[in-house]
This record gives sequence, C-alpha cells and structure tokens, in this order.
Amino acid sequence: METLKTISGYFATIGVAFTVGFLFMGFSRILTARVQNRVGPPIYQNLLDIIKLWSKESAINHGLMQHLGPAFAVTASVTTLLFIPVLRIGNWFQNFSFEGDLIFLLYIMVFGQLGMALGAGQTGNPNSAIGVSRGLSQVVGYEIPFVLALTALMVYHETTSLHEIMAAQDSIGAWNIFVNPFAFVAAIIAFLGMTHYTPFDVPFAPAELASGPPSEFGGKYLGMMMTSGSIFAFAKLTLFVNLFLGGASNLLELLAKTLALYLIPVIIGIVTPRYRTEQAIVFFWKWPTAFGILSILWVVWMR
Amino acid sequence: MEMNDKDTLTIVEHIKNFARRHSLFVLAYGTGCGAIEVPPTMTSRYDAERFGIVGRATPRQADVLLITGYLSVKTLKRVIRTYEQMQNPKYVIGFGSCTINGGMYWDSYNTIKVLDQYMPVDVYINGCMPRPESVISGFIKLQQLIKAGKADGWKKYQENLDWYRTNQKKVIKNWNMPDYNW
Amino acid sequence: MSDNIQNLQKSLSERLPQCSVKIRKHGGVELNSSKENLVGVLAHLREHFGYRHLSHISCVDWLEQNQFELVYILWNYESRIQLFVKVRLARENGSGISIRHLWPQADTYEREIAEMYGLPFDGNENPRELILEDWDAMPPMRRDFDTRAYSKEAFYDRPGREDAKDVRSVISGRSGEEIPEIAIPYTRK
Repeated sequence: METLKTISGYFATIGVAFTVGFLFMGFSRILTARVQNRVGPPIYQNLLDIIKLWSKESAINHGLMQHLGPAFAVTASVTTLLFIPVLRIGNWFQNFSFEGDLIFLLYIMVFGQLGMALGAGQTGNPNSAIGVSRGLSQVVGYEIPFVLALTALMVYHETTSLHEIMAAQDSIGAWNIFVNPFAFVAAIIAFLGMTHYTPFDVPFAPAELASGPPSEFGGKYLGMMMTSGSIFAFAKLTLFVNLFLGGASNLLELLAKTLALYLIPVIIGIVTPRYRTEQAIVFFWKWPTAFGILSILWVVWMR
Repeated sequence: MEMNDKDTLTIVEHIKNFARRHSLFVLAYGTGCGAIEVPPTMTSRYDAERFGIVGRATPRQADVLLITGYLSVKTLKRVIRTYEQMQNPKYVIGFGSCTINGGMYWDSYNTIKVLDQYMPVDVYINGCMPRPESVISGFIKLQQLIKAGKADGWKKYQENLDWYRTNQKKVIKNWNMPDYNW
Repeated sequence: MSDNIQNLQKSLSERLPQCSVKIRKHGGVELNSSKENLVGVLAHLREHFGYRHLSHISCVDWLEQNQFELVYILWNYESRIQLFVKVRLARENGSGISIRHLWPQADTYEREIAEMYGLPFDGNENPRELILEDWDAMPPMRRDFDTRAYSKEAFYDRPGREDAKDVRSVISGRSGEEIPEIAIPYTRK
C-alpha cells in the first residue's frame, strides 16, 4: 500500500510538472504576443503541439543514438524532477529528495543535454553539430556562476541537502534571496542561460541554424523533447524556489513563486536581441561570475 | 483514420484530429514572390499564431509546405526533396496563379505550370499574389479539410508514387536524389 | 561635361586608331573593336584611361546578320563617363575571349553568356552550370529559341486556359454587373 502510494506520488509529480510546464510556456507565448501587439495562441497551444507531434509518423533512422537522444532528455528531466522536493512539508511530492542532494542535481541536470548532444551528433546534420558545440560552450559559460552561487549557499547553511536549506530559511525567517542577494543574481543570470531564451538562444537560433540540435528530429522525437522541456522547466523553477524563495508549503504557493521566477527570463527574453556564443561566454564569465565570487566573500564575511 | 464499429471516428482520433488542425507547423521555405506575403501573415497585423500556425526551420518538424509562387525546374527538385523529408501527415498549399496554371510565367521555358502534376496539393489559394487575408482563409480551408479527413494528399502521393515520379523525371533530367522509404 | 566627352573621344581616337569611337545620344562613349584587339583595348582603357570598373558584359543576338555582339560596359570613377566597348563575333561556332585576368568578376558574366547563348569563351573553361540545371535543348536566350513551344512540350497545361477571356467581361456577363468606366480602356474586346 505504501509502495503504491509512493509510485502514484511519482506520477502525480510528473503530471503536475508537465501541466504547469506547458501552461507556463503557453503563457509566455501569449505574453510575447501581447508585447508584439498580437492576440497570440490559446494557453493550451503547447499541449496541442505535443499531442500532434506524438500523433505523427516518424520514419527517420540515423542510428541508435538518434533514437536514444530524446529518451535521454526525458530521463534526465524526470530524474531531476524526482530528486527535487516539490513541497517543503507534507508526504506528497517528496519522491527521492532524501537520497539526493545538490551535488547530484548539478550532475544530473547536464545529463539530458549531453544525451541530446550525442543524439544530435549522430544525425549528421551540420546544423545540429554547430548547435551542439554552441550549446555545450554555453553550458561551460553558465555552469561557473551557477556552481559558485550554489557553493555560497551550501557553505552558508553547512549542508548540501535541499530540505535542510529550506528548513534553515524557515528558521532564520528570511529567504536566501535576502540573505545572499549576490548568489541570487549570479544564479538567476545562469538560469537565463539554462532556459535558452534570448539573449542566450544561440544554440537553437532558428533563423540561422534551422533550430540547431533538434533540426533532424521531427514527429515523436520532437514531441518527446517538448515534453521533457516542459518537465525540466518546472524542475528548474522548483529548484530555484527551494533554494532562494524558501520553498513552498502548498501547490498554489509554488505556482505563484515559480511564475514570478519564470517571468524574469521571459520578460528579459522578449526585449533583448541575441548574444553570439563568444559574447555569451564572456558575459557569463564576467558579470555573474563576479557576483558569484562576491556571494562567497559575502558568506565568509557574514559568518 | 481509425473508425469504431458505428463507423464514426474513435475518441482518440477526434483528439488527434483536433490537435492536428490547430497546430500547423509551416516550413519556412519561400519560392517566388509569395514568400513576402508570409511575414505579414505571421506578424502583428494578421497574427497567424492565434490559429496555431508557426514557422519551423526544418522539414523534419514541419506539417505544411507552402509553395509560394512560381517554381523553376531547379527549385522543383529541391522542393520535392524537401517534401519527401517531411513526416506524415503533411500538407501542401499552393499560392497564387503560378502554381495553378503558370500565371504570368505560362510560356516560360524554365518554370512548371501545374503544380499538382508533380506534388499532391491540398489547397490552392488564387491571386497574384494572395494577400494575407486570403492566406489565412486558405489555412482555414485546410483546417476544414483536415477536420473532414479529406486532406490526404500525402496518402495519394504514396499510392500514386510511380505516376508522380514519371512526371517529375520528365522535367528533372538528372535524377540524382536519394529514395526515401517512409 | 560635353567638353569632357569630346576630349575623351578625341584622345581615344588618337590612342586607339584601329577602333571607331563615337558619342552616344543618351550619354557615354561607344567604341567598336575587333575580336583580335579586344583584350589589348580593354587593358589599355583600364591602365591609361581610368576605366577600372567593369559594370557588365551583355550579349546581343543579331540573328539577321548571323552575329553575336558583346558589349563591355566600363565606368570611370573620376570623369564619370560610361564607356561601351562593342565587339562582333560569329554566331555559329564563334567564341569570345575571356578577360578574367583583367576583372575577376567577368567570370560570372562569361559563364552566364556561355550558358544562355551557347557562346563559349576561350580561356574560361569553367565547367559548372550557373543558372540552368541539366539543360539539354538550345540555349534559351537565343532569338531562334521558341520558348512557348518548348514550354508547351515540356510542361503540362491546365485545361481551360485557351479561351483567355477577360476576367471583367466574364464577371459582368455572368452577373449583369456593369464594367466601371475607369476599367473600360483596359478591357479586352
């Protein structure tokens, strides 16, 4: 009985993550449309896209890794999601969060991208190869400030467990965004790079790269990637809420906090043009890294 | 399409059909002058995205191929190759009189005149060139056809492949293209 | 300005006595050369008259005289006078001379002329096709090439095109609607 409850808990988490993910993406499309003085698609448009993509025939074969690449992406998103405690309290939505910690999450979050890189590499499309090299360069760029910010938090709270970080914020009575604002700035700029919205969308640059790594993936593969993207977006947002906004005690609070965080990359994305790869890396290694180092100094000074 | 025992569509087919007609990914490939009518259709004034019509950069991800104007023989070869790389179900919309009967290029030595001899066309939009309103009405027509299950040009292409190939090879002398086994 | 042109004509006739030079009615100077002198004349114009820019090479098909005429259009940035160097070539089995060593962009024009008129250029054996692909009929820009007959034979016609009636008169005949006065001059009878 207990096992059944746990397993249904996993599925409920994935369901919630997927729903919230595609609704947020639909919301961002509407927001973009309103900024451009358009009406925009309905909010469930991404669900329709995913259903349609799943119902398409897929008769492409470029070898084994091409089929495994999108599967890797889905695996990585679901694993990331299941190792993040969705809510601060309660038995539901906790999943594996007691076994894993921040260090493990740092590894598993890159796994999907590496799988996609292998899959896209096998298709032999030159656009995919260029997109993969750009995407991985960008990973090298934003991982440094991200790890610096997380290190600052881990050193400050003397733990790598997400639960204990959330509990510590609760006991101090202040969220980490106020305790260590420099870490938040560094992490949120790294988050812009992770979401691949403009100005950091050069790996997928539709106008010049024919959508980059997934250019050879259509139908079900693209559907898998979009599904994984929805789940992964939610997982990342939840992680950030847990780290900086003190976690959430119920789903409504979580929704409000994740939406507030999600609006940052969307709104920045609407109004900015695109960075080239080298500009993006220079940017990541300059400003957010400086903030990351500052956050560690701040932690040292605070203690 | 799958039918149940009462000879109507199953509920899964209904959902699939609804998703298909409200999410049309258009391949961003332009030939001739119609390519300039597509950006106004997509942007603020006419906003095709409210019907779920968005552009895609690769044929693998696209559902709809727009033939936006005259096709020279050289372009036809590329268009056929692009069309065969798209995944089923896929639809073709022919823009303007050039694709219908040759239009102003009716006596040109290097442009084809009747598109549906070489590719299955689901919807023709007349005009020279059609304005964005007509383009959107053509998309609505395509949605109606998909709803009725009549937008089956891709099936016709598979069934009558030999006939299409004969016609294509009549104008494309040097046929050095891969064969797709979809 | 006209002084400049007259001076140019005078000095051109002195320096290039083998060519006939005349002033064109709509501006510019025209210079008729023979095939043998052509490269020398162009090089001379380039080196000594400041004609550093080759705008275009065009080809005219003189079917009645069984000749091709190549027109090299040159431009001088200082005097701002356009120069047309013309040369007549045999239509059947004739050939031009490549000037790729003077202006590299001439390569494109020469390939186009070779493809569209079937006039080969000595010294430019660039085998790649430029615009046409797998073309095996008569070069299409020759005047004796019947494009309508070719297109009728090569491509399909959609039936219903032959009568070619005027759209307005068909519509007015069908619905009884009057043709507006402004459209009457443009209506086919």
